[in-house]
Amino acid sequence: MMRLIFSLFVAGLSRRRLASILSFIAIALGVALGVAVNLVNRSALDAFEHGVRVISGEADMQIIGPRQGFDEALYARVARLDSVEVASPVVDIEAPLADKPGSLRILGLDLLRAARIQPGLSPKLDSTQASESRFAADAVFLSSAAMRELRLEPGQTLRVKVGLAIRDLRVVGTLHGGEDGARFGLMDIAAAQLTLDQLGRLQRIDLRWAEGVAPSQARAQLAGLLPPGLTLVQPEAAAMQAAALSRAYRANLGMLAVVALATGAFLVFASQALSVVRRGAEFALLRALGVSRHMLLTGVLAEGAALGLLGGLAGLALGFLFAGVALRVLGGDLGAGYFSDAPTALSFDWPTSLVFVALGFIAAVAGSAWPARAAVRAAPAPALRSGYQPSVPKLPTRRRLGVGFLLLAFPLAAIPPLGGLPVAGYLAVVCVLVGAIALLPALARRLFAHLPAMQAIVFDLARQRVAGASGQAVIASGGVLASVALAVAMAIMVASFRDSVDAWLDRVLPADLYVRAGRIGQAGGLDAAAQMALERMPGVARVEYVRHEQIRLPGSVLPLSIVARRIPAEGAGALFPMQAEQRVAAGDTPIWISEAAQDLFGWRPGMAIELPFGGVYRSFKVAGVWRDYARQNGAVLIDLAVYRRFNADALATDAALWLAPGASAENVSAELRQRFGAALDIVSAGEIRRSSLALFDRTFAVTYALEACAVLIGLFGIAASFAAAVAARKKEFGMLRHLGLTRGQIGATLACEGALTAGLGVLGGLAAGGLIGVLLVRVINRQSFHWSMDFSIPWLSLLGFSLAMIASAALAARLAGAQAMREGALRAVREDS
Amino acid sequence: MLELIALTKTIGDRNLFSALSLRLEAGGFVAIRGESGTGKSTLLNLIAGLESADGGDVRLNGNSLAGLDDDARTRWRRDHLGFVFQAFHVLPHLTILDNAVLPLRLQGVGSTQARAAAQSMLESVGLGVRGAGWPGELSGGELQRLAIARALVHRPTLVLADEPTGNLDPENAQRILALLAQQVRTQGAMCLMVTHSSQAAAVADRVLTLENGRLCEA
Amino acid sequence: MHLSRRRLLAAAFALPWLQSARAAAYPPVVPRRLVFPRDHAAHPEYRTEWWYLTGWLSAPGVPDFGFQVTFFQVRPGIAEDNPSAFSPRHIVIAHAALAWPGEHRLLHDSRAARAGFGLVGAETDRLSIFLDHWRMEVRNDGLHVRVDSRDFALLLDGAPPPPVLLQGKDGWSQKAPGKEHASYYVSMPQWPLRGTVTVKGQRFEVSGRAWFDHEWSSELMHPEAAGWDWAGVNLNDGGALMLFRMRRQDGSALWFGGTWRKASGETLRFGPGDIVWETLREWTSPRTGWRYPVEVRIRVAGRELQLKPLMDDQELDSRRSTGAVYWEGAVTAFEAGQRIGRGYLELTGYGERLNI
Repeated sequence: MMRLIFSLFVAGLSRRRLASILSFIAIALGVALGVAVNLVNRSALDAFEHGVRVISGEADMQIIGPRQGFDEALYARVARLDSVEVASPVVDIEAPLADKPGSLRILGLDLLRAARIQPGLSPKLDSTQASESRFAADAVFLSSAAMRELRLEPGQTLRVKVGLAIRDLRVVGTLHGGEDGARFGLMDIAAAQLTLDQLGRLQRIDLRWAEGVAPSQARAQLAGLLPPGLTLVQPEAAAMQAAALSRAYRANLGMLAVVALATGAFLVFASQALSVVRRGAEFALLRALGVSRHMLLTGVLAEGAALGLLGGLAGLALGFLFAGVALRVLGGDLGAGYFSDAPTALSFDWPTSLVFVALGFIAAVAGSAWPARAAVRAAPAPALRSGYQPSVPKLPTRRRLGVGFLLLAFPLAAIPPLGGLPVAGYLAVVCVLVGAIALLPALARRLFAHLPAMQAIVFDLARQRVAGASGQAVIASGGVLASVALAVAMAIMVASFRDSVDAWLDRVLPADLYVRAGRIGQAGGLDAAAQMALERMPGVARVEYVRHEQIRLPGSVLPLSIVARRIPAEGAGALFPMQAEQRVAAGDTPIWISEAAQDLFGWRPGMAIELPFGGVYRSFKVAGVWRDYARQNGAVLIDLAVYRRFNADALATDAALWLAPGASAENVSAELRQRFGAALDIVSAGEIRRSSLALFDRTFAVTYALEACAVLIGLFGIAASFAAAVAARKKEFGMLRHLGLTRGQIGATLACEGALTAGLGVLGGLAAGGLIGVLLVRVINRQSFHWSMDFSIPWLSLLGFSLAMIASAALAARLAGAQAMREGALRAVREDS
Repeated sequence: MLELIALTKTIGDRNLFSALSLRLEAGGFVAIRGESGTGKSTLLNLIAGLESADGGDVRLNGNSLAGLDDDARTRWRRDHLGFVFQAFHVLPHLTILDNAVLPLRLQGVGSTQARAAAQSMLESVGLGVRGAGWPGELSGGELQRLAIARALVHRPTLVLADEPTGNLDPENAQRILALLAQQVRTQGAMCLMVTHSSQAAAVADRVLTLENGRLCEA
Repeated sequence: MHLSRRRLLAAAFALPWLQSARAAAYPPVVPRRLVFPRDHAAHPEYRTEWWYLTGWLSAPGVPDFGFQVTFFQVRPGIAEDNPSAFSPRHIVIAHAALAWPGEHRLLHDSRAARAGFGLVGAETDRLSIFLDHWRMEVRNDGLHVRVDSRDFALLLDGAPPPPVLLQGKDGWSQKAPGKEHASYYVSMPQWPLRGTVTVKGQRFEVSGRAWFDHEWSSELMHPEAAGWDWAGVNLNDGGALMLFRMRRQDGSALWFGGTWRKASGETLRFGPGDIVWETLREWTSPRTGWRYPVEVRIRVAGRELQLKPLMDDQELDSRRSTGAVYWEGAVTAFEAGQRIGRGYLELTGYGERLNI
């Protein structure tokens, strides 16, 4: 029976070659995108986790604190505990490279102790190096990945910036255990403290519990020793942090892939639905011969299943290919900047990959479900009659259903995120799509019934055809609607985001020049002397300083960023776009929180909060909420003077310079360079803005690729449905040719039909896309990344896109029809009437 | 033996037949003539179980069609009936032999046995050497021969023929009718043929006319 | 002797970087009067120093067994100008081993760490050396030793220090031809101990006698030397015997030395020419393939002693931690078929040539 079904149905796919290939490609593309996005993400996370594993080794727990580190005296207290078997102190610095852009993570470990907790990290001294070099103040071991990427060999010099100084490090050997792409350097802890300006400070202590000690008891014993601001975390927390930060981004990419797949399902639906109609007589014959309804149903579903299976498997292979290319070209975060270590190898994540293959299969089978049911329901007798003309049944107008789904989107949009992901937001998007598609027949009826009659015969024929057979038009335009809706929504979201980032950059970059002598996780900065020198530079009218730092709140996997700046008299709203700004009572210390901090920590304006600074909990009043596109994990803004009072830390990370009238940025830059040396980064507001927007565009590059695929699949749908319809309309065209239409006129008719059909989908897609765009901007982005943005619609691009889509559809319909028209139309009439 | 017992069928507000009855013995070949729209094709559809009667019953060798569900009717067609259509209706993507073998395959007959039977059936309609070819290579007359082979390959009790010569020139039509009659008789099957053509009716044992919902001997 | 041997172990086998090419300002080892208890404590300005406790213990229900606990402090002479508290000015290395007959091999473990933070180091005012939770110290009530490892743990308490036995010339002990090849070397034999020993989760109350050595020097091993043999025996009559020989690469003796303190208090000192050291039986290690002369006959001062090992396999293979491989085991001393004492025998340099 299986073989019979195969020969009766599945083998027939090869007869409808164009439609089958397009369906196959659509499914394959959808699956490939999902597989690729997932593989690249998995590989990046794996590489990151591998790095974390190598670096934290067999540590049971880690003590971490502010990014600038904590007093090393804690190490002695911790190591002395009975419950601690080994305590390994760690200096962990992100050192900017002096000779090229970027930075290198450098760990300072007690090389004698580290072997007991990080056995995977074995520094191997190069044979050319004297044996005591490993403890030399400038000695660094590099992981193979770092060696490769920095193009260094043992014996050569690595130059890094430490505050305003540049330090030469001697590469004395390789790190074994860091082979799998983790890019970092290792120094002896004493050398690291001295050379990276960390004397007396540690960033981390790795711990292994003594045997037989209950971890809970050990943790309790330790907790009493930790001053505020230091927390005890599992070593996996770093990996979790990376995963958590990038999760929403990854989920959004995954959703885009799923939407592409759904568009593919729609394409399968369109081509199957039309082919079922066309094969009405064939199915009737089979029914007459004794093929049961069940077999017919199975047969049509089997066609979908075959497409789904083949497409899925091809998509799997294609996905691996895409992932490999993407990894090489865009990096493990697909350009979004989440991971610094580029994975060198793909991690094959079979389970999730197979889920996408299964989704492709399900999409194709589901796409065949309605056509299969339609085939079974069709009465065989009429189709057996001579002269039977297959036609798509009028589709039911599910107006109430459509409106219901659209309305359902509203309450869904109001539901808070689930596990950090905007699950309900995604459901709302699905509701809008389903609702829009359900309303499409009604829209078609309205639209086509009111199209004016035209003199041009070609257009008029097309108009009558789409009005008369609106079922077919609706089916073909459904796929267009889905893909256009997606593209429009993304375009609106990206435009809103980009405009908001642009406006934000305007606000936060008021000065002419910015100098930077260190970043979070990097040693050093502008000390008091450097600050004074800056202020006295000729041509500099005013200087404002920023101190960046990260602290840890108990129980939070993510660090909280601190932005310490002088708060001007007119309020913090002058520094960042601010909402709900309020004055705090005298005696209260104000603090302004970012939207992410508001979402993640549940803080509200007016609330009193406590944050650990300098080992002491300090009380603050939330005095406003600001928009922050720079720190997804949450940030607080505090007054620089307050920060200095609490931290005994007079360094500044950045300084903003306003130039005196008449001073030129070039001259001041040159003088700064001369005075402070090459370690100082000097950039103009314009450069920061350009590089920020470039990073923004790079982040969305993958999104564009996914969108393009969905749009392509939508166009395939038009092509496939026209290919199917034209084949069934051979007699009609033959008759028209008898009446005296030229071949070109028939082609033009088809193109008009394609344009009208696509126009329907584009109209629906614009409406649905607008709604989805609102959901993306207001719900999904806000919940995923915790930043708000101003809604803006890129009218011109949308207009251009819509016209291009309609033109492409006309072309696709014309091309799909060409094949059918090549076979003599005159013969078509004689043959079978 | 085919018995039509008081068949009643109404389409819209038009009463096609009321209490239409007919008995046809094994080996019988009946032609039914009638004006267009008298319900000839509908009658065939009712016998085939493709449409349901509003009343009455169809019995074949005592087996009743009334009350059977769609699956059972499908089995009924599969096991007891063969069809010949005016427009041939062969599947273009199957070979000539595969088209002929289809009813046997639907009955679950093993492939080798089924193909042998179909081959001999093709031989008896004069297409013995064409089995590996495709329907597209056949002329109209040859397509109808293939249809006859397909209608009889599974040794049905009853062959329903709907204007089998409607798409053929008179010469071909004559040959096809002779072949159909010969094959039906050889197998001892019954045949019910709907036709306009008096030439076609001439090969039948009995010629009935469908008029005003009644069958009358011509 | 021990001194260079230990230094050698640490420096040559185990942690080659401890040997500095830069000559730090190490004090020379010249004869001087030692003052106690000050000289039981650490001498951090010297290149190498070690404290060494070996002995036999008895516990109810199990055969007598041997133990050794050794702490080294090394001043590698590197990074001394780095103000970091982690600067490796001194490295402490500790070895502990248990010659447990039921195991047919040594249970052992070792640790190395830089001194500092009060976690690792050696006091300069009293005998107290510690490496995280491992420690060896003399308090008012006597000696305290604590070592715990995955397979075993030692918690030993000794009496207050017994009378010192100054090796060589008033504690100045020559190791090879040439006055510069010397160390300060102080022993305290016949030190009574009791405490608990845990072996693979099973706890034993133990008692026994130990041999304590303390040695420090700034000198490297003699260039002709390939290794050494050393024995320290607590005699049943209350006496104490220490003997060593320095071997060349070809196996011939480069130097001999030794001391016999009789129960009466009379002390005999031996040099090259006083000692004959013969191999009676060799044992081949299944791990390294090295052959050790585990049973020896020693003729000294007109007596003839035989040393027989508690078990053959007392090779200490810590290549996976500090890297040293040598044979160091509990032995019984016999004379004319009579058991006359128990002690420890150390055999080094029997494998690849020591790379100094």
